[in-house]
Amino acid sequence: MNHLSEEELIEQYYSKGAAGFGQHIQDCAECAEAYAALSSDLDKMQFATPPERDAAYGERVSRSIAPLLPAYQPRRRSWLHIGLWRGLSYAALASLIVAAFFAGRLWEHRQPKTAAVNNPAQPEVQAAPPKQRIVVVVLSDHLDRSERLLVELKHADADSEEMVSPLRDEARSLLAANRICRQNAAKTDDPELAKALGRMDHLLDELANQPGGLNAATITRLQDEMDADGLLFQVRVLRSRIPEQQAAAAAGSKEGNI
Amino acid sequence: MGKNDHETVKAVLDGDKEAYGALVVRHSQSLFRVAFRITGNEADAEDVVQEAFLRGYRKLESFESRAQFSTWIYRIAVRCALDKIGGHRADDSTRVADETDPELEQLQVADKAAGPDRLLLSGEIGAMQAWALYSLTATERTAFMLRHLEGCTGEEIGAALGIPPNAAKQAVFRAVKKLRSRLAPLREMR
Repeated sequence: MNHLSEEELIEQYYSKGAAGFGQHIQDCAECAEAYAALSSDLDKMQFATPPERDAAYGERVSRSIAPLLPAYQPRRRSWLHIGLWRGLSYAALASLIVAAFFAGRLWEHRQPKTAAVNNPAQPEVQAAPPKQRIVVVVLSDHLDRSERLLVELKHADADSEEMVSPLRDEARSLLAANRICRQNAAKTDDPELAKALGRMDHLLDELANQPGGLNAATITRLQDEMDADGLLFQVRVLRSRIPEQQAAAAAGSKEGNI
Repeated sequence: MGKNDHETVKAVLDGDKEAYGALVVRHSQSLFRVAFRITGNEADAEDVVQEAFLRGYRKLESFESRAQFSTWIYRIAVRCALDKIGGHRADDSTRVADETDPELEQLQVADKAAGPDRLLLSGEIGAMQAWALYSLTATERTAFMLRHLEGCTGEEIGAALGIPPNAAKQAVFRAVKKLRSRLAPLREMR
Protein backbone atom coordinates (compact mmCIF):
# COMPACT_ATOMS: atom_id res chain seq x y z
CA MET A 1 0.00 0.00 0.00
CA ASN A 2 1.34 3.40 -0.93
CA HIS A 3 1.32 5.77 1.97
CA LEU A 4 0.08 9.33 1.74
CA SER A 5 2.67 12.02 1.26
CA GLU A 6 2.95 14.90 3.69
CA GLU A 7 1.43 17.17 1.03
CA GLU A 8 -1.60 14.92 0.78
CA LEU A 9 -1.97 14.89 4.54
CA ILE A 10 -1.77 18.69 4.61
CA GLU A 11 -4.33 18.88 1.83
CA GLN A 12 -6.61 16.56 3.80
CA TYR A 13 -6.20 18.68 6.95
CA TYR A 14 -7.02 22.01 5.32
CA SER A 15 -9.80 20.71 3.13
CA LYS A 16 -11.44 19.28 6.26
CA GLY A 17 -11.62 15.85 4.71
CA ALA A 18 -12.77 16.93 1.26
CA ALA A 19 -9.46 15.98 -0.36
CA GLY A 20 -10.65 12.36 -0.43
CA PHE A 21 -7.93 10.68 1.60
CA GLY A 22 -10.18 9.93 4.57
CA GLN A 23 -10.75 6.29 3.67
CA HIS A 24 -7.06 5.64 3.29
CA ILE A 25 -6.32 7.25 6.64
CA GLN A 26 -8.94 5.03 8.27
CA ASP A 27 -7.49 1.90 6.69
CA CYS A 28 -3.78 2.66 7.13
CA ALA A 29 -2.47 2.85 10.69
CA GLU A 30 0.78 4.48 9.62
CA CYS A 31 -0.93 7.27 7.73
CA ALA A 32 -3.48 7.69 10.52
CA GLU A 33 -0.63 8.21 12.95
CA ALA A 34 1.10 10.68 10.62
CA TYR A 35 -2.15 12.55 10.10
CA ALA A 36 -2.82 12.71 13.84
CA ALA A 37 0.67 14.14 14.42
CA LEU A 38 0.23 16.73 11.69
CA SER A 39 -3.20 17.75 13.00
CA SER A 40 -1.83 18.02 16.51
CA ASP A 41 1.06 20.24 15.40
CA LEU A 42 -1.14 22.56 13.40
CA ASP A 43 -3.94 22.68 15.98
CA LYS A 44 -1.50 23.64 18.70
CA MET A 45 0.03 26.53 16.82
CA GLN A 46 -0.66 29.78 18.60
CA PHE A 47 -0.99 33.09 16.86
CA ALA A 48 -1.37 36.58 18.17
CA THR A 49 -4.98 37.66 17.97
CA PRO A 50 -5.37 40.86 15.95
CA PRO A 51 -6.06 43.70 18.37
CA GLU A 52 -9.57 45.12 18.19
CA ARG A 53 -10.01 48.40 16.34
CA ASP A 54 -12.65 50.73 17.68
CA ALA A 55 -15.69 51.73 15.67
CA ALA A 56 -14.10 55.00 14.59
CA TYR A 57 -11.07 53.27 13.07
CA GLY A 58 -12.46 53.30 9.54
CA GLU A 59 -13.26 57.02 9.82
CA ARG A 60 -9.71 57.72 10.96
CA VAL A 61 -8.24 55.80 8.03
CA SER A 62 -10.56 57.62 5.69
CA ARG A 63 -9.56 61.04 7.06
CA SER A 64 -5.87 60.19 6.92
CA ILE A 65 -5.90 59.27 3.25
CA ALA A 66 -8.49 61.79 2.07
CA PRO A 67 -5.97 64.59 1.33
CA LEU A 68 -3.98 62.19 -0.87
CA LEU A 69 -6.88 61.27 -3.11
CA PRO A 70 -7.34 63.27 -6.30
CA ALA A 71 -10.95 63.40 -7.49
CA TYR A 72 -11.74 61.36 -10.58
CA GLN A 73 -13.04 63.28 -13.56
CA PRO A 74 -16.60 62.25 -14.34
CA ARG A 75 -16.35 59.25 -16.58
CA ARG A 76 -16.70 59.60 -20.31
CA ARG A 77 -15.81 56.03 -20.89
CA SER A 78 -19.37 54.78 -20.91
CA TRP A 79 -20.43 57.35 -23.47
CA LEU A 80 -17.48 56.58 -25.69
CA HIS A 81 -18.05 52.90 -25.18
CA ILE A 82 -21.71 53.13 -26.13
CA GLY A 83 -20.88 55.47 -29.01
CA LEU A 84 -18.30 53.07 -30.37
CA TRP A 85 -20.59 50.07 -30.26
CA ARG A 86 -23.48 52.05 -31.67
CA GLY A 87 -21.26 53.36 -34.45
CA LEU A 88 -20.05 49.85 -35.28
CA SER A 89 -23.55 48.41 -35.26
CA TYR A 90 -24.85 51.18 -37.49
CA ALA A 91 -21.93 50.73 -39.86
CA ALA A 92 -22.66 47.01 -40.02
CA LEU A 93 -26.32 47.70 -40.63
CA ALA A 94 -25.52 50.24 -43.34
CA SER A 95 -23.22 47.72 -45.04
CA LEU A 96 -25.98 45.13 -44.89
CA ILE A 97 -28.49 47.52 -46.41
CA VAL A 98 -26.14 48.53 -49.21
CA ALA A 99 -25.27 44.88 -49.84
CA ALA A 100 -28.95 43.97 -49.92
CA PHE A 101 -29.61 46.79 -52.32
CA PHE A 102 -26.90 45.74 -54.73
CA ALA A 103 -27.84 42.09 -54.34
CA GLY A 104 -31.33 43.10 -55.34
CA ARG A 105 -30.04 44.95 -58.36
CA LEU A 106 -27.88 42.04 -59.36
CA TRP A 107 -30.79 39.70 -58.96
CA GLU A 108 -32.91 42.05 -61.02
CA HIS A 109 -30.41 41.98 -63.87
CA ARG A 110 -30.26 38.22 -63.92
CA GLN A 111 -33.93 37.51 -63.41
CA PRO A 112 -35.31 38.92 -66.69
CA LYS A 113 -32.84 36.85 -68.67
CA THR A 114 -33.90 33.68 -66.87
CA ALA A 115 -37.52 34.59 -67.26
CA ALA A 116 -37.00 35.34 -70.92
CA VAL A 117 -35.36 31.97 -71.41
CA ASN A 118 -38.16 30.13 -69.62
CA ASN A 119 -40.97 32.10 -71.13
CA PRO A 120 -40.00 34.48 -73.88
CA ALA A 121 -43.50 35.83 -74.06
CA GLN A 122 -43.55 36.99 -70.42
CA PRO A 123 -43.02 40.73 -70.07
CA GLU A 124 -39.88 41.96 -68.29
CA VAL A 125 -41.85 44.08 -65.86
CA GLN A 126 -42.63 41.00 -63.75
CA ALA A 127 -39.12 41.26 -62.24
CA ALA A 128 -39.94 44.64 -60.73
CA PRO A 129 -41.88 43.69 -57.56
CA PRO A 130 -38.98 42.01 -55.69
CA LYS A 131 -36.78 45.01 -56.37
CA GLN A 132 -39.54 47.27 -55.18
CA ARG A 133 -39.87 45.31 -51.97
CA ILE A 134 -36.14 45.56 -51.29
CA VAL A 135 -36.20 49.27 -51.97
CA VAL A 136 -39.13 49.74 -49.61
CA VAL A 137 -37.35 47.78 -46.87
CA VAL A 138 -34.14 49.76 -47.35
CA LEU A 139 -36.04 53.03 -47.45
CA SER A 140 -38.04 52.13 -44.36
CA ASP A 141 -34.91 51.43 -42.37
CA HIS A 142 -33.20 54.52 -43.69
CA LEU A 143 -36.08 56.81 -42.80
CA ASP A 144 -36.31 55.21 -39.38
CA ARG A 145 -32.64 55.92 -38.65
CA SER A 146 -32.88 59.37 -40.18
CA GLU A 147 -35.79 60.23 -37.92
CA ARG A 148 -33.83 59.08 -34.86
CA LEU A 149 -30.87 61.18 -35.92
CA LEU A 150 -33.06 64.24 -36.43
CA VAL A 151 -34.67 63.78 -33.02
CA GLU A 152 -31.23 63.49 -31.42
CA LEU A 153 -30.03 66.56 -33.29
CA LYS A 154 -33.12 68.50 -32.27
CA HIS A 155 -32.46 67.81 -28.59
CA ALA A 156 -28.66 67.85 -28.71
CA ASP A 157 -26.80 70.07 -26.30
CA ALA A 158 -24.64 72.03 -28.73
CA ASP A 159 -21.90 72.52 -26.15
CA SER A 160 -21.53 68.86 -25.30
CA GLU A 161 -18.91 67.00 -27.31
CA GLU A 162 -20.25 63.75 -25.85
CA MET A 163 -23.60 64.42 -27.52
CA VAL A 164 -22.19 65.74 -30.76
CA SER A 165 -19.64 63.04 -31.48
CA PRO A 166 -22.15 60.16 -31.86
CA LEU A 167 -24.27 62.39 -34.12
CA ARG A 168 -21.33 62.89 -36.45
CA ASP A 169 -20.58 59.15 -36.53
CA GLU A 170 -24.19 58.31 -37.26
CA ALA A 171 -24.39 60.96 -40.00
CA ARG A 172 -21.34 59.45 -41.68
CA SER A 173 -22.84 55.99 -41.64
CA LEU A 174 -26.15 57.29 -43.08
CA LEU A 175 -24.69 59.31 -45.94
CA ALA A 176 -24.15 56.47 -48.41
CA ALA A 177 -27.58 54.93 -47.88
CA ASN A 178 -29.21 58.36 -48.16
CA ARG A 179 -27.61 59.02 -51.55
CA ILE A 180 -28.71 55.65 -52.88
CA CYS A 181 -32.26 56.22 -51.66
CA ARG A 182 -32.30 59.74 -53.12
CA GLN A 183 -31.10 58.53 -56.52
CA ASN A 184 -33.69 55.80 -56.47
CA ALA A 185 -36.42 58.30 -55.56
CA ALA A 186 -35.38 60.47 -58.49
CA LYS A 187 -35.51 57.49 -60.86
CA THR A 188 -38.91 56.35 -59.64
CA ASP A 189 -40.30 59.83 -60.03
CA ASP A 190 -41.10 60.48 -56.39
CA PRO A 191 -40.33 64.21 -56.11
CA GLU A 192 -41.52 64.55 -52.53
CA LEU A 193 -39.23 61.80 -51.31
CA ALA A 194 -36.35 62.99 -53.50
CA LYS A 195 -36.69 66.53 -52.14
CA ALA A 196 -36.74 65.41 -48.49
CA LEU A 197 -33.78 63.11 -49.05
CA GLY A 198 -31.96 65.96 -50.81
CA ARG A 199 -32.34 68.10 -47.68
CA MET A 200 -31.34 65.16 -45.57
CA ASP A 201 -28.26 64.75 -47.76
CA HIS A 202 -27.27 68.33 -47.14
CA LEU A 203 -27.77 68.00 -43.40
CA LEU A 204 -25.87 64.71 -43.16
CA ASP A 205 -23.05 66.15 -45.21
CA GLU A 206 -22.77 69.12 -42.88
CA LEU A 207 -22.84 66.91 -39.80
CA ALA A 208 -20.37 64.37 -41.15
CA ASN A 209 -17.88 66.51 -42.98
CA GLN A 210 -17.75 69.83 -41.21
CA PRO A 211 -14.16 71.08 -41.54
CA GLY A 212 -12.54 71.26 -38.13
CA GLY A 213 -15.32 69.19 -36.53
CA LEU A 214 -18.70 70.21 -35.24
CA ASN A 215 -18.87 73.21 -33.02
CA ALA A 216 -21.72 74.62 -31.00
CA ALA A 217 -22.50 77.31 -33.59
CA THR A 218 -22.83 74.75 -36.40
CA ILE A 219 -25.07 72.52 -34.33
CA THR A 220 -27.31 75.44 -33.43
CA ARG A 221 -27.48 76.52 -37.08
CA LEU A 222 -28.34 73.01 -38.24
CA GLN A 223 -31.01 72.74 -35.57
CA ASP A 224 -32.52 76.02 -36.79
CA GLU A 225 -32.38 74.95 -40.44
CA MET A 226 -33.93 71.63 -39.62
CA ASP A 227 -36.78 73.33 -37.79
CA ALA A 228 -37.28 75.90 -40.57
CA ASP A 229 -37.45 73.19 -43.22
CA GLY A 230 -39.74 71.01 -41.15
CA LEU A 231 -37.42 68.17 -42.12
CA LEU A 232 -38.28 65.98 -39.16
CA PHE A 233 -41.98 66.34 -39.96
CA GLN A 234 -41.35 65.47 -43.59
CA VAL A 235 -39.41 62.38 -42.69
CA ARG A 236 -42.20 61.28 -40.36
CA VAL A 237 -44.77 61.75 -43.09
CA LEU A 238 -42.65 59.77 -45.52
CA ARG A 239 -42.25 57.03 -42.95
CA SER A 240 -45.99 56.86 -42.48
CA ARG A 241 -46.31 56.05 -46.20
CA ILE A 242 -44.10 53.01 -45.90
CA PRO A 243 -46.77 50.48 -44.82
CA GLU A 244 -48.81 51.40 -47.90
CA GLN A 245 -45.78 51.02 -50.13
CA GLN A 246 -44.98 47.67 -48.52
CA ALA A 247 -48.52 46.51 -49.13
CA ALA A 248 -48.35 47.69 -52.72
CA ALA A 249 -45.01 45.96 -53.23
CA ALA A 250 -46.36 42.72 -51.73
CA ALA A 251 -49.45 42.90 -53.95
CA GLY A 252 -47.28 43.53 -56.98
CA SER A 253 -45.18 40.54 -56.07
CA LYS A 254 -48.21 38.26 -55.78
CA GLU A 255 -49.54 39.42 -59.12
CA GLY A 256 -46.13 38.78 -60.63
CA ASN A 257 -46.15 35.26 -59.30
CA ILE A 258 -49.55 34.34 -60.65
CA MET B 1 -30.31 53.93 2.59
CA GLY B 2 -26.56 53.46 1.99
CA LYS B 3 -25.20 52.57 -1.40
CA ASN B 4 -23.71 49.14 -2.01
CA ASP B 5 -20.04 48.79 -2.92
CA HIS B 6 -20.59 48.83 -6.67
CA GLU B 7 -22.75 51.94 -6.54
CA THR B 8 -20.18 53.62 -4.33
CA VAL B 9 -17.35 52.76 -6.71
CA LYS B 10 -19.37 54.19 -9.57
CA ALA B 11 -20.00 57.38 -7.61
CA VAL B 12 -16.28 57.74 -6.89
CA LEU B 13 -15.40 57.25 -10.55
CA ASP B 14 -18.00 59.84 -11.44
CA GLY B 15 -16.07 62.36 -9.38
CA ASP B 16 -17.53 61.95 -5.89
CA LYS B 17 -14.26 61.55 -4.03
CA GLU B 18 -15.94 61.67 -0.61
CA ALA B 19 -17.90 58.50 -1.41
CA TYR B 20 -14.69 56.49 -1.12
CA GLY B 21 -14.80 57.11 2.63
CA ALA B 22 -17.80 54.78 2.88
CA LEU B 23 -15.77 51.95 1.34
CA VAL B 24 -12.87 52.65 3.69
CA VAL B 25 -15.13 52.60 6.74
CA ARG B 26 -16.85 49.42 5.57
CA HIS B 27 -13.71 47.38 4.89
CA SER B 28 -10.94 48.75 7.09
CA GLN B 29 -11.58 46.34 9.98
CA SER B 30 -11.24 43.20 7.85
CA LEU B 31 -8.20 44.63 6.10
CA PHE B 32 -6.57 45.42 9.41
CA ARG B 33 -7.15 41.86 10.58
CA VAL B 34 -5.46 40.27 7.57
CA ALA B 35 -2.69 42.86 7.57
CA PHE B 36 -1.96 42.09 11.19
CA ARG B 37 -1.92 38.36 10.50
CA ILE B 38 0.72 38.87 7.83
CA THR B 39 2.85 41.59 9.36
CA GLY B 40 2.41 40.49 12.96
CA ASN B 41 2.69 44.10 13.98
CA GLU B 42 -0.03 46.59 14.84
CA ALA B 43 1.68 49.69 13.47
CA ASP B 44 2.67 47.93 10.26
CA ALA B 45 -0.85 46.60 9.87
CA GLU B 46 -2.26 50.12 10.11
CA ASP B 47 0.22 51.31 7.50
CA VAL B 48 -0.81 48.44 5.26
CA VAL B 49 -4.49 49.35 5.58
CA GLN B 50 -3.82 52.95 4.56
CA GLU B 51 -1.56 51.92 1.71
CA ALA B 52 -4.09 49.36 0.47
CA PHE B 53 -6.89 51.93 0.32
CA LEU B 54 -4.62 54.42 -1.41
CA ARG B 55 -3.55 51.87 -4.02
CA GLY B 56 -7.14 50.75 -4.36
CA TYR B 57 -8.27 54.29 -5.06
CA ARG B 58 -5.61 54.78 -7.73
CA LYS B 59 -6.55 51.50 -9.41
CA LEU B 60 -10.27 51.93 -9.02
CA GLU B 61 -10.82 52.31 -12.76
CA SER B 62 -9.50 48.79 -13.24
CA PHE B 63 -12.00 47.37 -10.75
CA GLU B 64 -14.45 45.21 -12.67
CA SER B 65 -18.02 45.44 -11.59
CA ARG B 66 -18.52 41.70 -11.72
CA ALA B 67 -16.00 41.27 -8.90
CA GLN B 68 -16.61 41.85 -5.21
CA PHE B 69 -14.98 45.02 -3.95
CA SER B 70 -14.18 43.31 -0.64
CA THR B 71 -12.23 40.54 -2.41
CA TRP B 72 -10.48 43.01 -4.67
CA ILE B 73 -9.31 45.32 -1.88
CA TYR B 74 -8.39 42.31 0.26
CA ARG B 75 -5.97 41.16 -2.43
CA ILE B 76 -4.44 44.60 -2.62
CA ALA B 77 -4.01 44.60 1.15
CA VAL B 78 -2.26 41.21 1.04
CA ARG B 79 0.13 42.55 -1.61
CA CYS B 80 0.81 45.65 0.48
CA ALA B 81 1.44 43.51 3.55
CA LEU B 82 3.76 41.31 1.56
CA ASP B 83 5.67 44.37 0.38
CA LYS B 84 5.83 45.55 3.95
CA ILE B 85 7.30 42.39 5.38
CA GLY B 86 9.56 42.01 2.37
CA GLY B 87 10.95 45.44 3.17
CA HIS B 88 11.27 44.61 6.84
CA ARG B 89 13.45 41.62 6.15
CA ALA B 90 16.23 43.87 4.99
CA ASP B 91 15.58 46.27 7.86
CA ASP B 92 15.66 43.51 10.46
CA SER B 93 19.02 42.16 9.44
CA THR B 94 20.50 45.62 9.82
CA ARG B 95 18.89 46.30 13.14
CA VAL B 96 19.78 42.95 14.67
CA ALA B 97 23.43 43.58 13.90
CA ASP B 98 23.30 46.75 15.94
CA GLU B 99 23.83 45.29 19.41
CA THR B 100 24.35 48.61 21.13
CA ASP B 101 20.72 49.57 20.86
CA PRO B 102 18.81 48.17 23.86
CA GLU B 103 15.45 48.80 22.16
CA LEU B 104 16.25 46.11 19.62
CA GLU B 105 16.60 43.36 22.18
CA GLN B 106 13.30 41.76 21.26
CA LEU B 107 14.15 41.78 17.58
CA GLN B 108 17.35 39.92 18.31
CA VAL B 109 15.43 37.22 20.13
CA ALA B 110 13.24 36.70 17.06
CA ASP B 111 16.19 36.43 14.73
CA LYS B 112 17.62 33.11 13.57
CA ALA B 113 20.87 33.94 15.26
CA ALA B 114 19.20 33.60 18.64
CA GLY B 115 18.59 29.93 17.88
CA PRO B 116 15.74 27.65 18.92
CA ASP B 117 17.62 26.18 21.87
CA ARG B 118 17.89 29.52 23.58
CA LEU B 119 14.22 30.20 23.05
CA LEU B 120 13.30 26.79 24.40
CA LEU B 121 15.43 27.18 27.44
CA SER B 122 13.71 30.40 28.33
CA GLY B 123 10.37 28.66 27.90
CA GLU B 124 9.16 31.08 25.33
CA ILE B 125 7.00 28.80 23.26
CA GLY B 126 5.19 31.69 21.66
CA ALA B 127 8.49 33.29 20.73
CA MET B 128 9.66 29.96 19.33
CA GLN B 129 6.63 29.80 17.10
CA ALA B 130 7.13 33.40 16.10
CA TRP B 131 10.73 32.64 15.26
CA ALA B 132 9.66 29.66 13.14
CA LEU B 133 6.99 31.68 11.42
CA TYR B 134 9.13 34.69 10.67
CA SER B 135 11.96 32.58 9.37
CA LEU B 136 9.72 31.53 6.49
CA THR B 137 9.92 33.49 3.28
CA ALA B 138 7.39 36.28 2.97
CA THR B 139 5.40 34.34 0.38
CA GLU B 140 5.38 31.14 2.44
CA ARG B 141 4.35 32.96 5.58
CA THR B 142 1.60 34.89 3.85
CA ALA B 143 0.31 31.80 2.05
CA PHE B 144 0.33 29.87 5.30
CA MET B 145 -1.46 32.62 7.23
CA LEU B 146 -4.10 32.97 4.53
CA ARG B 147 -4.66 29.20 4.51
CA HIS B 148 -4.43 28.49 8.20
CA LEU B 149 -6.08 31.53 9.73
CA GLU B 150 -8.18 33.07 6.99
CA GLY B 151 -9.32 29.77 5.47
CA CYS B 152 -8.49 30.87 1.92
CA THR B 153 -8.34 28.29 -0.85
CA GLY B 154 -5.33 27.77 -3.09
CA GLU B 155 -7.04 29.78 -5.82
CA GLU B 156 -7.74 32.67 -3.48
CA ILE B 157 -4.21 32.68 -2.13
CA GLY B 158 -2.80 32.53 -5.64
CA ALA B 159 -4.96 35.46 -6.71
CA ALA B 160 -3.96 37.49 -3.67
CA LEU B 161 -0.25 36.81 -4.13
CA GLY B 162 -0.29 37.02 -7.91
CA ILE B 163 0.95 33.46 -8.37
CA PRO B 164 -0.66 30.35 -9.88
CA PRO B 165 -2.92 28.38 -7.50
CA ASN B 166 -0.58 25.40 -7.59
CA ALA B 167 2.36 27.57 -6.60
CA ALA B 168 0.24 28.92 -3.74
CA LYS B 169 -0.47 25.37 -2.57
CA GLN B 170 3.19 24.50 -2.77
CA ALA B 171 4.02 27.58 -0.71
CA VAL B 172 1.60 26.37 1.97
CA PHE B 173 3.11 22.88 1.90
CA ARG B 174 6.62 24.23 2.25
CA ALA B 175 5.55 26.50 5.08
CA VAL B 176 3.91 23.66 7.01
CA LYS B 177 6.92 21.39 6.52
CA LYS B 178 9.35 24.04 7.69
CA LEU B 179 7.22 24.98 10.66
CA ARG B 180 6.87 21.39 11.78
CA SER B 181 10.54 20.80 11.36
CA ARG B 182 11.53 23.90 13.33
CA LEU B 183 8.95 23.34 16.02
CA ALA B 184 9.77 19.65 16.48
CA PRO B 185 11.54 20.34 19.83
CA LEU B 186 8.24 21.68 21.19
CA ARG B 187 6.60 18.32 20.55
CA GLU B 188 9.04 16.67 22.92
CA MET B 189 8.40 19.29 25.59
CA ARG B 190 4.64 18.78 25.60
